[in-house]
Amino acid sequence: MFMPVATQASLKGLTPEQLEDTNCQLCLNNTYHLGLKPGQEVLDTIGGAHKLQGWNRNILTDSGGFQMVSLLKLATITEEGVRFLSPHDGSPMLLTPEHSMSLQNSIGSDIMMQLDDVLVTTSPDHARMRLAMERSVRWLDRCIAAHKNPHRQNLFCIIQGGLDLDMRRECCREMVARDTPGIAIGGLSGGEAKEEFCKVVEACTALLPELKPRYVMGIGFPEDLVVSVALGADMFDCVWPTRTARFGAAITRHGVYNMRNAKYARDFGMIEEGCGCKCCRPKSEGGLGVTRAFIHHNASKETVSAHLLTIHNVWYQLNLMREVRESILADRFPEYIKEFFGNLYAEPKDYPSWAVEALQRVNVDLTA
Amino acid sequence: MASRRIFKILSAAVGDGTSARLGQLALPGRKVVETPNFTSVASRGAVPHLTPDNVTRHTDLSSTYMALEDCRPPTDMDTVVEKPNAAIYEIEGEGEDSRPLHAFTAFPQEIPTILAARRCPAVTAPSGNTSKLLAIFTSTGFRSISIAEYAEAARKLKPDVVVGPADLLHSSQAPAAKKQLRMTERTEDWLDQFLGLLKADTRITSNVPESLIFAPLIPVEWKIQWTYLRHLAEEVLDDISGLAVYDVNLMPELGAFKFSHLPKLSLDTPQNPQDILRQISLGIDICLVPFVNNVSDAGVALTFSFPAPKTGTGIQPLGTNMWSSEHKISLTPLAESCTCYACQKHHRAFVNHLLNAKEMLGWTLLQIHNHHVLTEFFRGIREALAQGPEEFEALVQEFATVYDSEIPAGTGERPRARGYHFKSEHHQEKYNPRTWQDLNNNSNPGTERTEKPHEGAGPDGQPSA
Repeated sequence: MFMPVATQASLKGLTPEQLEDTNCQLCLNNTYHLGLKPGQEVLDTIGGAHKLQGWNRNILTDSGGFQMVSLLKLATITEEGVRFLSPHDGSPMLLTPEHSMSLQNSIGSDIMMQLDDVLVTTSPDHARMRLAMERSVRWLDRCIAAHKNPHRQNLFCIIQGGLDLDMRRECCREMVARDTPGIAIGGLSGGEAKEEFCKVVEACTALLPELKPRYVMGIGFPEDLVVSVALGADMFDCVWPTRTARFGAAITRHGVYNMRNAKYARDFGMIEEGCGCKCCRPKSEGGLGVTRAFIHHNASKETVSAHLLTIHNVWYQLNLMREVRESILADRFPEYIKEFFGNLYAEPKDYPSWAVEALQRVNVDLTA
Repeated sequence: MASRRIFKILSAAVGDGTSARLGQLALPGRKVVETPNFTSVASRGAVPHLTPDNVTRHTDLSSTYMALEDCRPPTDMDTVVEKPNAAIYEIEGEGEDSRPLHAFTAFPQEIPTILAARRCPAVTAPSGNTSKLLAIFTSTGFRSISIAEYAEAARKLKPDVVVGPADLLHSSQAPAAKKQLRMTERTEDWLDQFLGLLKADTRITSNVPESLIFAPLIPVEWKIQWTYLRHLAEEVLDDISGLAVYDVNLMPELGAFKFSHLPKLSLDTPQNPQDILRQISLGIDICLVPFVNNVSDAGVALTFSFPAPKTGTGIQPLGTNMWSSEHKISLTPLAESCTCYACQKHHRAFVNHLLNAKEMLGWTLLQIHNHHVLTEFFRGIREALAQGPEEFEALVQEFATVYDSEIPAGTGERPRARGYHFKSEHHQEKYNPRTWQDLNNNSNPGTERTEKPHEGAGPDGQPSA
């Protein structure tokens, strides 16, 4: 399953109905950002994030741990928690495991994430990495203790440990012992090599219980999704599909196209031929019949083409995962993976070696 | 001739067309426009912030105004400099989408388009029009186009309505009589040429109905353009289907001509609903209302209705500033008892949050709401007119006493200004203040830090506690 990211309680320009149109059942909000705007008091008064944004389907909230990396210069990390300086006015905010839980209880998300100590995976400081991993385990205990609605909201743990597979395994054992309803693999998507990324996912999924959802955080490129599913992961989120839409890029099964390129100015085809999203379906089938030429015409001058591409890209990601699920049920996932890479690259020799190798280890031979 | 079929006046007392009236504009293949009504203003082929599916789902727009300068018209020169024509001129409409302007913009099928040369309001061109050329501002800069080029572009785009070329004021607001006379003469020449070109165009075999042509009435004293008005009434009346009025103060003088059967589109932009009511009292059938887009960008939700509610509690504001922190936890709709999507499904607290968080959905919701308020405002006007002209005028008077005359200003930031149509001027102040600062620069004034950020923090971040 792919989950689009509505960081500040709005999926970048789309109404909740437009998001429902993409068949989205679960989207992300961010605890740290909602804690700043609109703030906990407002969330409590309104009655949570579902009511705030008019979204009746599921919400998963990230704990704000990732902002330790993305807003590193604004954050100071101690055993107590993370002290952020607000990027808006420089005022401090202390995010402890307890405060993160309290915020997520106020948000009322269906899936909550523990506060974890996130380091960029490429960090060479082994001691600091170990500290972060062990601290994340300690913080999970504090999160579980502070969680007020365990019946209504599901708290997921997050496995840390950088690229050190032994440390990851150790973390897996500690986290699994605490029996959360779901398990996330965190700290990835921080610029590590894809080979390393695959090895971490593989090492973790091997140790995780079969009947709990495994969520790899921050993953969104179509190849990464397909390979991660093959390596045993279930859930993913990423801002890339919506962000790249705002930069004028369309994700298709043949790759990513930048609609601002002059060659699309006179291209009257759909964004992606055969795509089932609202934008690409012809008017006769209830779609909008939007052409690449119009996206090009409107892009970066008005917001409308960014909205249209957001609809398309979110649909693409969700539909990709739907196809993956169907192929697994039909017992033809390996064939599906081959078709997927066949569509993406002109020739097998262009396939990325990290994907070929990772898939080989789970007995899918792309070169065959 | 065509005009007699497309436009029907419903008021019992038809009059001379210089007072408020009810009508119906039925353009081929589109839903009927009940008049008086307003036309929304599109930019780059879309009503700002509204995707076509949101327009269909959440608005009831009567029509939309698009500018030729947004669809860079082809020139002969393009082939020489190897800069191809804008793509829009190559699209072939098919089936229902037979009008290329509609097909290209994916605009909802039932809503008619009105095309004019310039955006509204338009960026002032560095030089004015010449006797043969009209100055426009396209995505590739200022350009002048000939009347033949304009006619050719209109022929290809096939909007439902096209406004004939007008020699409008360039910079001065009060031109000398001599200049006014020249504007009139040019507009007359241009219109004749434009009509001739589009009429002569019988070679196409397409079954798409031709665009209807509205003749422009320019902001020149009526005495000076008397000959032009007479020319319209006596020589080309059968070739025009309506009038595009750039100055509504001309309206009372039009009674002297046989224009009463023509639909009248006002391009004299109103600043507030009181201006709109005045235009309707003068006999305008369709008003262009660009202020809606500005009001939404400013973060203001319109709240007026017609007839004005009987409150008796002092002057009522025309809108509510959604930036104000008083809405932070308000679960009430943007405007009381409003039935629009934004008010039914969301609340002030969400819009306030979206504006604060600079999320684009905030402007989308405000656009949906504000267009809905105008749609209802016009529905109220038509219902009052159905009661009779005296009742309508009484309600107009009342509206003026109940409501403030200025729409409140938004106190926050506006969406990022993008695109060529925001022309910067010399020493212009920043549109929005800078929101980020250099984190490594502690001397940055205005940032009071309670903690020292770690200088040049590496990826390993903070040493352990």
